[in-house]
Amino acid sequence: MADIREVSLEKIDDYRWRIPKSYKPGMRVPGIIYADEKLLKDIRHDKALEQVANVAFLPGIVNASLGMPDLHWGYGFPIGGVAATDIDNGGVISPGGVGFDINCGVRLLKTNFQYEEIKNKVKDLVYALFSDIPSGVGSKGDIRVSQREEKEILLKGSKWAVDKGYGTEEDLECTEEYGAIQGADPSSVSDRAYDRGKAQSGTLGSGNHFLEIQVIDQLYDRDICDEFELTLGQITLMIHSGSRGLGYQVCDDYTRSMIHCLQKYNINVPDRQLACVPVNSAEGKAYLGAMKCAANYAWANRQCLMHLTRKVFEKVFGMSWQKMGMYLIYDVAHNIAKIEKYMIDGKEKTLCVHRKGATRAFGPGHPALPARYKKTGQPVIIPGDMGRNSYLLVGTQKAMEETFGSTCHGAGRLKSRTAATKSINLDALLKELEAKGIMVKASGRGTIVEEAPEAYKDVNEVVNVVHSAGISKRVCRMKPLGVIKG
Amino acid sequence: MAHFYLMKNYELIEHTADIGIRVKGSDLKELFRNAAAAMFDIIAEKKEPEVKKQAEIKIEQKADNLEELFVNWLNELLSLSATEELIFSDFQINKVDKNTLQALAIGEDIKNYKVNTEIKAATYHQLKLEEAKTGWQVEVIFDV
Repeated sequence: MADIREVSLEKIDDYRWRIPKSYKPGMRVPGIIYADEKLLKDIRHDKALEQVANVAFLPGIVNASLGMPDLHWGYGFPIGGVAATDIDNGGVISPGGVGFDINCGVRLLKTNFQYEEIKNKVKDLVYALFSDIPSGVGSKGDIRVSQREEKEILLKGSKWAVDKGYGTEEDLECTEEYGAIQGADPSSVSDRAYDRGKAQSGTLGSGNHFLEIQVIDQLYDRDICDEFELTLGQITLMIHSGSRGLGYQVCDDYTRSMIHCLQKYNINVPDRQLACVPVNSAEGKAYLGAMKCAANYAWANRQCLMHLTRKVFEKVFGMSWQKMGMYLIYDVAHNIAKIEKYMIDGKEKTLCVHRKGATRAFGPGHPALPARYKKTGQPVIIPGDMGRNSYLLVGTQKAMEETFGSTCHGAGRLKSRTAATKSINLDALLKELEAKGIMVKASGRGTIVEEAPEAYKDVNEVVNVVHSAGISKRVCRMKPLGVIKG
Repeated sequence: MAHFYLMKNYELIEHTADIGIRVKGSDLKELFRNAAAAMFDIIAEKKEPEVKKQAEIKIEQKADNLEELFVNWLNELLSLSATEELIFSDFQINKVDKNTLQALAIGEDIKNYKVNTEIKAATYHQLKLEEAKTGWQVEVIFDV
């Protein structure tokens, strides 16, 4: 790839690297990348480092523009980027710092099955899940709503689903923001966004969205595993999905309008897609209100998908999901902006924290956590790519001090989608996955090859960096057994 | 697994996480037409028609500059495709300059198609829209 100016990095330690402010005039803070030498080589394949430097231009940005080890090229903000702005000092909010798929995120359920009990049932389960859970591109769900009802979803998030009988109060406790961010403003959501969202509740979506049956194949922290009641060989379920067309429309609507606001607020950014406005402006409040709606929609969606999954298991095994121990461990967002308080230079500040392809990782004792996780810290779910491991971690005090309570989100894509499609043979890939004992069912022709493990960075390395840097702590590792993809 | 395109006048370009295309047109109207057709070519392929429904949707867009107009055009098509449940295959560009677009998009029910890829949006990322001696060329990256 021509024309990549080599971004010079200063090594802080084995897992932290700095882009000095002097790299590009206009940077208000340095960039800090969490990576090791090996991952840095991959990161340098695209312009992600340049984008980390660009984010440092944002008015009100505090401490540093951060890059997680799964960093890769995005639009405006890199994916794996974290940036916090001081809202009382002209700090901005940028839709590019959230992404099109607002609250793309993931949840992890446990079961009380052990691998031996279920290994012969995986195929049946995959087929049943594939048939009962609407997954494909632009797919429409069975859970249809009117616009008035949709407004309720946007306000109440997961609670809307629970009130309808699609889950329990306990599920809410085990969800980031308890399944809904307060202050969502349905009037900030366009009619077009409503139209896109109407038919897509309870749908999985495509691309890297998936539903996975897993087995815990390694324990790292025995104490926390005991706390969470997780054992080796235990079957877990992972659901990865987002806000679907509603989220994409909100992002598009507001990116369009914010591009016109840059002059109004005298903001100079090196990339049009870093279009932003002060959080404390009419436009900023409107976007935040709409973003919260989309986030809540995504939580309601994942709650519905979990409900459908529990129902499928009930059908296949002939007993209630409670009897099968299908309880939610946690649900996290990884494309979102949050208003959170942090100590900066001895003063408490209210910041707008953008996590684009990054996960909240609050440490032990944080008031936002439910009682059951106050001692351990917040569970962090890191989905691997198809055919590779996923991880459960917990947040740490160090994350609170260094990364605005944030960590990586997944493996990060290495090979481009066109390159992946060219070089990976579908039959060979399916055989390889089958040999590993992994059954895949997908509805789009391109999706399996595009999401092949070689197309991604190594999630094990990514997780090793955040663990070694101390911003998250490994709890256990899961291996996939069956996957449904959109 | 081969599949045929009647008229494939675009190329795919490299990008780490998404899909990019390079499209040409002898004039702006053709460029806008070809880019839209390429986008839906990536999204879906025709299968045995199930439903006779065909629709024509009028599209009007305004923008501060040509690049914005171009991105808005593609995103408006994606949005309408989702809400109307259509795949657009034919485009009549009646008027296009750097600030205004008036067009007609013709499409069929999505049930007549096999959908391969969901495109979330057209982005400004590495967008290159330029006029050359032989006509116009654009490179645009889609978020998938």
